[in-house]
Amino acid sequence: MTGEPGTRAEPIVLADHLSKWYGQVIGLNDVSVTLPPGITGLLGPNGAGKSTFMKLVTGQLKPSKGSITVLGEPIWRNPGLYTRIGFCPEQDAFYERMTGLEWVTALVRLNGVDDTEAAAMARRALETVELLDAANKKIGAYSKGMRQRVKMAQALAHDPQLLILDEPLSGMDPLARRKTIRLIKEWGRAGRSVLVSSHILHEIESMTANILLINQGRILAEGNVHQIRDLIDKHPHSVYIKADHTRALAREFLGHDDVLSLKFEGEAVVVQTGQPDAFYSRLTDLAASGELGAIHEVTSPDDNLQAVFQYLVKS
Amino acid sequence: MSAPATRRATPSVFTSALRIFDLSLGQMLWSRRSVFLGLLLGGPVLLAIALRVVSALYASGFRINGAQAAGPSVFGMMIWLLYIRFIVPVLGVFYGTSLIADEVDDKTITYLFTRPIPRRAVLFGKFLAYLVCTVLLVLPSVMFVFFLIVPIGGSGIGEAFPALLADLAMLAIGLAAYGAVFALVGTRLKRPLIIGLVFAFGWEPAVLLFPGYLKRMTVAYYLQALVRHEMPQDSAVSMLLQVFREVPSIPVSLASLAVIIGVTLWLAGQAVEQREFVLDQ
Repeated sequence: MTGEPGTRAEPIVLADHLSKWYGQVIGLNDVSVTLPPGITGLLGPNGAGKSTFMKLVTGQLKPSKGSITVLGEPIWRNPGLYTRIGFCPEQDAFYERMTGLEWVTALVRLNGVDDTEAAAMARRALETVELLDAANKKIGAYSKGMRQRVKMAQALAHDPQLLILDEPLSGMDPLARRKTIRLIKEWGRAGRSVLVSSHILHEIESMTANILLINQGRILAEGNVHQIRDLIDKHPHSVYIKADHTRALAREFLGHDDVLSLKFEGEAVVVQTGQPDAFYSRLTDLAASGELGAIHEVTSPDDNLQAVFQYLVKS
Repeated sequence: MSAPATRRATPSVFTSALRIFDLSLGQMLWSRRSVFLGLLLGGPVLLAIALRVVSALYASGFRINGAQAAGPSVFGMMIWLLYIRFIVPVLGVFYGTSLIADEVDDKTITYLFTRPIPRRAVLFGKFLAYLVCTVLLVLPSVMFVFFLIVPIGGSGIGEAFPALLADLAMLAIGLAAYGAVFALVGTRLKRPLIIGLVFAFGWEPAVLLFPGYLKRMTVAYYLQALVRHEMPQDSAVSMLLQVFREVPSIPVSLASLAVIIGVTLWLAGQAVEQREFVLDQ
């Protein structure tokens, strides 16, 4: 398998009438989908079934019905396949007392490499996510963005063919976001495949045009979904920003037409924008210049996406 | 960026377990559970200090129900009643039932189950870490108690030292047996902590008091054969201890304990291989 995007290569994920239920609750309902090599975005609001799909793709859950193969092999109880897969989970969970380098090294060792090679691979991965300077700091002392990046490092350290990222940009500051998006795109260009989930359309769009829309345990649409793009402008997009000087930021935002409203929540400001592309671009420039202090965290609730999905389901 | 990696041979269960052991030992040693149980292990030391003070104040020595008790006998009783019958099961219950549950609760299990290692290697590695961690917790406590209690009544430390080594080996075997049993409980049953406590402090003491075959369904029955200490005689306590000491031979006990450890660990490993672990979002 070459993994070259756009070629008729083996699909990276093949789900056939895949269902998963937890007791009486349906997590995923009769999903049949073929994901091509390259970057695929899995988009859906919270509770849509993204995490269930991700857990089935990564072999953490066994299908209740149907089948799933990853890189041509069934994944459930097939540990050998994890040499070719890297997974960055959504949850913010770590061995807090370990340093970033110790943690990534320890996990890479589980791939069967010796100590020296594991340490070298871990260093390379931390360098890739620009965390080498903090490699010897305890993870417990990392910021939210650093924790996201060290999770990414453990996923890509063993140079996998398929990288599976569950909400990788969550909580990152604008600069880290931009770098991570660039990294994911580079990864795709280098012939690897990436399956990345998010509840933020704008994020997914910035990485790939190949999108899989999921809601209420079903796949709504797949492929190059341009129409979805037009829906963004019809539904205001909320952005939650934690920064040193939220009031100064708010004053700056108010000078632009695309900002529809804003409110303060503790030390954060929540902005509603009708043009997320323009807003994020400006926000990243502001973070890079540092003229209004540091921007620590940027997140987006999925209300706007939920509205888009409601529109899609109705139409 | 380099070309995609080719498929690498997956490590064996043994190698994987050793790497999980490396990863887990430090976490386990410095966990809140270890701190709490470390404090619990200070209890016998405090008791030993108290006994030492009492024996120093009363030159006539130390008596249990009127019978003269030498230091090694008191030490033997403490090993059996405090360590084997209480502390070792407590350690087994609290660590054994949580070998996998801790990783699930902390949501770190994902990192281990998405690596090219058999899932049972995670359990075996964590079991090894448990064994080393609990031995490291128990060892200083037993040593302190030994050096405080054995000299009471003029007994020599040197001649009692081989018995101490045997006791430490017995405690390690007890920790392994209880840990394996409770690892099985933790991976197969709901509410493992309650079931474990009922087993250790309800079922075991109850069936050990009565003659019959039921006591063979306990770990303590086989462990008591390994207790080599002479106990004080001509007292109610010694009579009770004689009832407890209706025991199998040492080879039978060792073989039975080996079977218990092997079978329960294997079954626990199978459970981890087959079970889905759904993390709370």
